[in-house]
Amino acid sequence: MTRLVEVPAQFDDRSFDQFAGAFAAAAADGERLLFDAHAAEWASPYGLVGLLAAGQAARRSGAADKPLLTAPTHGEVLSYWARAGFFREAAELFEIHGRVPKPKAEDESDVLVPVTAVRAAEDVHAVVSKLQQRASAILASELGLDPKATMGFAMALSEACQNIVEHAGTSGWVAVQAYHWRRTLARRVVVIAVADAGVGFRHSLEPTQGKRFGARWGDAAALEAALIQGVSRFRDPGRGQGLAGIRRYLARWDGKIAIRSGTARIAIVPPWDDDVPLKDGLPPFPGAQVLIIIPEQGSTTR
Amino acid sequence: MIQHIDVHAVLQESVAGVYADLVTRPTGRVVRERIERAIVPAAHAGDVTIARMDFAGVGCIDYSCADEIVAKLVQGRPAVLVLSGLSDGHREAIEPVLARAGLAALIEEPGGTLDTLGAPAAAAVLVEELVARQLAVRMPGGSIALTLA
Repeated sequence: MTRLVEVPAQFDDRSFDQFAGAFAAAAADGERLLFDAHAAEWASPYGLVGLLAAGQAARRSGAADKPLLTAPTHGEVLSYWARAGFFREAAELFEIHGRVPKPKAEDESDVLVPVTAVRAAEDVHAVVSKLQQRASAILASELGLDPKATMGFAMALSEACQNIVEHAGTSGWVAVQAYHWRRTLARRVVVIAVADAGVGFRHSLEPTQGKRFGARWGDAAALEAALIQGVSRFRDPGRGQGLAGIRRYLARWDGKIAIRSGTARIAIVPPWDDDVPLKDGLPPFPGAQVLIIIPEQGSTTR
Repeated sequence: MIQHIDVHAVLQESVAGVYADLVTRPTGRVVRERIERAIVPAAHAGDVTIARMDFAGVGCIDYSCADEIVAKLVQGRPAVLVLSGLSDGHREAIEPVLARAGLAALIEEPGGTLDTLGAPAAAAVLVEELVARQLAVRMPGGSIALTLA
């Protein structure tokens, strides 16, 4: 039997919990999954890399065949998913149904880094290099970021990707895009989305942090330890600086970071956003999903 | 003696592909190990090797590489390190890493004057030590200069 997982029509970090709930319910008995995105109207980079992570998890869950994916039917949506590099990565994970266009050459696209697999340190080098080639002008001219901020953005991207290499125990994906953020902000933003279906923060940190937290230990405590306290699973005191560095960078440029792992989600919320700092008891989803948003500079008060 | 280390060149020798960015811990580890091997120890007891690490041509440095290269070299003390060719972006990565570890390093400004980067207390100790060993002198105006050319 095939179980259906509906992809939300507007698929982003807000609707991800709905998707995670559908995924958790459908994946419970190890049957083959069908991810139905035919009615998708829009997907953020977070939605796209999250969908790949779900495909990765579904392949591991015991079903003999690749999970199925019905591609969006709306032409513009399909075109964007192709342009964003989604189908190139999805082809390895899903049996795709529907007409998939060939991606056009990258030109004036807002896709600064298309959906790219991160498996090893070399991939992080390639992603950072690609960002620097394509993004400097957009970050400076469209977002009004000081040119100095471009390097900090590359640092943030590098550290976010390294979390996959160092902690996930599997591969993951990253995508970087500039677009108009209508929700709460109504201005241009650049977004880094990183997702994997690996072991997640709780499992990664448990050997070194579990006892310290005692009964409080769980996904939320693990995220708090990593993002707020800067702890690492490594005993080297020099470790654990990546997320702290990202936080410093975001504080300077009024940015946001949100990390979802397991059943919890933590966020550093800037004044222009209405997210909550910590959510627990969410539908379980494997691995970690990271969202970083840098807004166009200027007045970002709501 | 002052040794010159071209960090960009070391990076090129260390990674497959032509990349200008010092990113990821594995890359940082390989670059540091190459630098450690390249630093020639002082010939006589009491002599000091000064290594000028030139970051010109290096794109982005992330925190992992800043820790793996600069902080661990400062801790290991194979030589007195002078960081040169640093951009503002490089400093933004290196400074908090050194400060968190309670370390400091010398940096060479574009005009050739020296300053310190990292934890203030460690920076004061570093300068005192260099002056006491006559490796550096305090200049009028508060800057410092190496006594070796």
